[in-house]
Amino acid sequence: MSALYDQIRTVASEYPESRSAVLPALRLAQAEHGGWLPPEAFREVAEALELTPAYCHAVASFYDMFHLEPVGKHMVEVCTNVSCALVGAQQVVEAFERELGVEAGGTTVDGEVTLRTVECYGGCGWGTVVSVDHRYREPVRPEDVPAIVRELRHAD
Amino acid sequence: MSVELVTVTIDDREIQAPKGQGMVETAASAGIEIPVFCYEPRLGAPVGACRMCLCEVEGMPKLQAACTLTAQDGMVLKTAQTSKQAAEGQDAVLEFILLNHPLDCPDCDKGGECPLQDLTFRYGPGKTRMQFPKRTFDKPIPISPLIALDRERCILCYRCTRFSENVAEDGQLVAVNRGAQSIIATFEDEPYRAPFSGNVLELCPVGALTSTTYRFRARPWEIQNVPTVCGMCPSGCNVWATTREGKVARILSRNHPEVHEGWTCDKGRFTYDHLRAPDRITAPLVRVRRRGFEESSYDAALDAAEAGLREAGSSVVVAFSGGETVEQAKALTRIVREACGSEMALLPEEWDPGLEAFRSPLSAIRDAEVCLVLGDQPVLERSPIVDLWLRSARRAGAEVIQVNPAGDVQAAPGSAAQVAASLREGDVPTELKATGKRLRSAKRIALIWSDDDPSGGRHVGALANDLHENGKADVSVYVLPRTPNGRGVPAAWYEAGEGRSEPPEEGEIGALIVSGDEAAYDPRVAELAGRARFVLTTAMFQSDLTAWSHVVVPGTSYLERDGTMVNLEGRKQRLRRAVIPAGLDELEFLSRLGERFGLDIAAWAAPTAEELADLPPGDEFAWSSPDPQAPTGKAAGPGLDLVRVRSLFSGAGVERIPQLQFQRPAPEIELAFDDAESRGIAPGETVRVLSNGTSRDLRARLNRKLRVGVARVADEHAAGFEDRVQVEKIGA
Amino acid sequence: MPIRELLLQGADERDLTKREEYEAAGGYKSLRKALGMERQAVLDELLAANVRGRGGAGFPMGRKASFLPKPEDTPKPIYLVVNADESEPGTFKDREIMLRVPHLFIEGVITAAYTIGSGTAFIYVRGEYLTEFEVLKAALEEAREAGYVGKDVLGSGFDLTIVVHRGAGAYICGEETGLLESLEGKRGQPRTKPPFPAISGLYASPTLINNVETLATVPKILEMGGAKYAALGVENSAGTRVFSLSGNVARGGNYELELGTTLRELIYDLGGGIPDGRELKAIIPGGSSVPVLNATEVDTPLDFDSMAQAGSMLGSGAVIVIDDRCCMVQLGLRVAQFYMHESCGKCTPCREGTRWMVQLLRKIEDGEATQGELDVLLDVCDRILGNCLCPLGDAAAMPVASYVAKFREEYQRHIDEGACPFGGESSLEGVLAPVDQHHAHLRGQIEVPTHA
Ligand SMILES: Cc1cc2nc3c(=O)[nH]c(=O)nc-3n(C[C@H](O)[C@H](O)[C@H](O)COP(=O)(O)O)c2cc1C
Ligand code: SF4
Ligand code: FES
Repeated sequence: MSALYDQIRTVASEYPESRSAVLPALRLAQAEHGGWLPPEAFREVAEALELTPAYCHAVASFYDMFHLEPVGKHMVEVCTNVSCALVGAQQVVEAFERELGVEAGGTTVDGEVTLRTVECYGGCGWGTVVSVDHRYREPVRPEDVPAIVRELRHAD
Repeated sequence: MSVELVTVTIDDREIQAPKGQGMVETAASAGIEIPVFCYEPRLGAPVGACRMCLCEVEGMPKLQAACTLTAQDGMVLKTAQTSKQAAEGQDAVLEFILLNHPLDCPDCDKGGECPLQDLTFRYGPGKTRMQFPKRTFDKPIPISPLIALDRERCILCYRCTRFSENVAEDGQLVAVNRGAQSIIATFEDEPYRAPFSGNVLELCPVGALTSTTYRFRARPWEIQNVPTVCGMCPSGCNVWATTREGKVARILSRNHPEVHEGWTCDKGRFTYDHLRAPDRITAPLVRVRRRGFEESSYDAALDAAEAGLREAGSSVVVAFSGGETVEQAKALTRIVREACGSEMALLPEEWDPGLEAFRSPLSAIRDAEVCLVLGDQPVLERSPIVDLWLRSARRAGAEVIQVNPAGDVQAAPGSAAQVAASLREGDVPTELKATGKRLRSAKRIALIWSDDDPSGGRHVGALANDLHENGKADVSVYVLPRTPNGRGVPAAWYEAGEGRSEPPEEGEIGALIVSGDEAAYDPRVAELAGRARFVLTTAMFQSDLTAWSHVVVPGTSYLERDGTMVNLEGRKQRLRRAVIPAGLDELEFLSRLGERFGLDIAAWAAPTAEELADLPPGDEFAWSSPDPQAPTGKAAGPGLDLVRVRSLFSGAGVERIPQLQFQRPAPEIELAFDDAESRGIAPGETVRVLSNGTSRDLRARLNRKLRVGVARVADEHAAGFEDRVQVEKIGA
Repeated sequence: MPIRELLLQGADERDLTKREEYEAAGGYKSLRKALGMERQAVLDELLAANVRGRGGAGFPMGRKASFLPKPEDTPKPIYLVVNADESEPGTFKDREIMLRVPHLFIEGVITAAYTIGSGTAFIYVRGEYLTEFEVLKAALEEAREAGYVGKDVLGSGFDLTIVVHRGAGAYICGEETGLLESLEGKRGQPRTKPPFPAISGLYASPTLINNVETLATVPKILEMGGAKYAALGVENSAGTRVFSLSGNVARGGNYELELGTTLRELIYDLGGGIPDGRELKAIIPGGSSVPVLNATEVDTPLDFDSMAQAGSMLGSGAVIVIDDRCCMVQLGLRVAQFYMHESCGKCTPCREGTRWMVQLLRKIEDGEATQGELDVLLDVCDRILGNCLCPLGDAAAMPVASYVAKFREEYQRHIDEGACPFGGESSLEGVLAPVDQHHAHLRGQIEVPTHA
């Protein structure tokens, strides 16, 4: 059986009830499928946890960290909640939009970077908080953006 | 066990209620309405989602969702009638609900029978303060050929998704996204393909889920609802047949808490339109030498029938279909026994009267500690309602043990009788040890037999008797017949006399009476017809067999009959004619035929009678049957052991409903995971299935729970296969 | 200096993420002490300490723990669930604790589990906290190796499994019953109460749910004794809290203070005041869910009762400082957008009401609202308040209603002048909220509330 299947079964064994492993399982599947969850992924998770694909999709669609459409190789997330917004988050968003040439919520045409705004990421004291490939950069100011984008472009 | 009564005060009225009873019911018991949308006790614990039921409760600062409250002594509750705060709360909730609701009542099917419409009228705001564009969606979208979804009308009460998740447990209909973006959906726009899908139509409190077979067909004030019983399977769900202009327009469930809790399967709900199938036989047909069939008068048909039977003497065989009412079966029995002096009958199934000793309502399944299911046929396909009861039993904490090739204990096909015997005799194989122990320790047991049983249920009956005698347990037994009245028809036959003989193995027979389409499809009957000098057939539709017949009289559907049906619990229930059949009523035809032989057979079922008495308590009967001989298992051979599954969605009726075709079994073969792997077969791959010269290509479905060495195929895709099949990867 | 480090004590001097360092600083002594005591005796210390929950609701910890059945009185397993979903806007204290004193936190978890007789504890960490998750895992591994976690903890005969579970991005999973649903592998929609988790929580078993900071205080309480801990802080607000300071303030960050310290001390003495010579305009004292205070209320002490008197709440201890560049309508809009985005969609008033609030607030901000619509806004808040299944709805209505109440004339000007008086100069001008951004994954189903 597939590696993903076995991985999911292993995670599931940590919990009294295997359904508790849905989030970890979806996370594994998302990694397996290049950062998003195609229909196939739900079938795989459903099979491993003896659930239905519909159920797994219902769960995934509730959580912001699961993507139901393709995303870029890299993920840039800018917090625009109150604390960050008060110290200029919007200027940071716009700096990224300029540097990447894509609107927040979208992915660069070359499929390299997805840019999106997010709700409070819990770095409010050091705003603006930007999460680059799930690692926080804090604080980020508009003038820091070009370097970050360059770094991403030259990564891998 | 007696329930403690408590006193609660609702709208300043003191009400006695059982402690812990829901407050919505408690209020209703005193004629006080607490408006609800999401609340529906049959869906499990209340969720308190819609907030329509907000009420003021003494001692609590905030309004409370009354649907989540239960009667506690001294509780003081005020509804909108007596509490300004509650009235405002409910008004607020309705304003929020209507905020994005299209209010397209005039062209909505629900109009006139819509809870949202009614409650808005009674509790809602007169006008809307919403000046923004309402949420819009593509509409209506079919979520299956049977059901259309209008997301704009949906108020997200989650009744439908809770049904799917908590009752049918099919996990097909779900809510996706979050907050204001939440919508009801199926996976990837795949159809909601599940045997109970139609129930969500009745659960939806607005016009969001509507039936494609009823949409725009009728208005509430043009219809009549006839209370009757579903005749599609032996469960005996109580239903309303909604008729409009003398035609059946839809089937709704009529809640009988002991039988089906108001759920019905899609076969029972959606098959009614076969009454109006174009190929329906509407007038008697008589075969005329060299000219084939000719439509004839009933008198001419009766003449021909009488002549054929008299000529046959006592060499007369009757083949029942199992769908007859008790009255029809009795009439036929008398004609064959008394008029023709024959005892030759093909019964749909045998039935051991001793089983009466273990008779209980279906709802007793839910209350059992252990439910043991024996037999190769999936319960769902034989009696969908029993499948639902088993699920609620498991949710209520019962241990449900399925012993079959794909069960919790993966028994060999055809081994049910041995399993029963070994559990009875106590010398069980290792895989059954745990089951045996559990049965011995349990005090409330439900035994379910889901397969044909020539012994009429004696294997499971004997086990029940043993558990009752030696285990001192309350045991209820449910033998699932193959046919809707499979318990009533044999009873009718034997009531008229002990005897029954099989037709001769070979040689000519005088006459064959074929009663109904099910019998007409039976290969044994076809074989007999070939040897019969005269064949009298009653059928709704043409078939190979009607072609063999000499006289064909139009058959009727349960929706066109009055009479008595006995469901699998042994409950006698009343069929009420919803619509008039095109031809003569079957019972009346039999009465006239009997008359020709000097028999006095009532042309009408007794209006209501002792035969509709309630279930007698089981202990009025004693298990008297001798212990049955368990047949020895089938000899192993090459290839895979084939289990043919007779699927729920099959039969003459279903075949004639276009919208039901997607529910019929796909051309698949179910394979054990290891068997597929060892043959290099991937899920969904098309494989070649061979059996004594028959070869058919079927899609492989892999089942991790299926016993290795076993394959399952639906009857309609297994024609020509023998007990063992070879499965090959194509191009291997 | 009002700084009073208890939980974060020593974290500046040494690397307390390392077990040896933590032990050298006296770590895991409290656990040994607890394991030597009767369960009830430990519980009594917690009751004596009178420590109130740090997650937001402020419910006394000892009392909550005492609602659970004793292990011997229930056939079901007892669970300890740690709420590390920290998502309340402005709050980032649990993160600091997990990053800098993970062993203290773990020691608290083990001790609490022992106290209630729980053999399995789940730590639900918000999914975005990846580094925090890794640090915690590493520390947990060290604790396992040292025999603090696992079978027969320190030879006491007490077995404990700790599972660290990652969320996946949903604020509502911070609400305790939503968290339980999520942990059971469902959509994180809150449950109706009763039954309360103490009776029927995770897998319908008795469950104690506490916040990270709450549990991190446990070792300290046992170390100094409940009574002494209770002496810290002020009446009804015992001990210290890690306050998260953010917004228009020179030195944002976490500051552990005794309860009862004033906002002024935090914002000016420690936070260095308002930068760029701006004026203090408003303060959100307990995370974005709580009613706002205006500049004149800056001397309000940070404790439960004082905040209540001021008409607000201590909430999660997140202090957001707002200067005079901020348009309070834009603030209301941005806060409402957050709660609309996070509403789970289960109950009607929150699902529909938060969306309606956003529509109304945007119309007001755009200067296109009528007088009547300002009243409708207040009425919508009023109709959400107290009518929802869980407190999220209130969390949206309360603050917005308070903005209108305290800055009415500013709202009024938007209507009278037909435009935002800040003329595009507000610090929140045009900020792009996730609800407004095109969500590819919603397949075009998402529609942004507008007032076309
Ligand atoms: C909408 C909402 C969000 C919440 N978010 C959190 C959270 O992120 N972290 C937390 O510890 N408590 C949160 N809470 C409070 C929890 O419901 C619960 O009261 C708390 O975790 C109990 O722990 P404590 O008693 O130690 O504070 C939230 C409550 C609500 C209503
Ligand atoms: S208040 Fe909001 S978050 Fe809470 S249950 Fe209702 S919809 Fe869900
Ligand atoms: S009926 Fe009570 S909340 Fe829906």
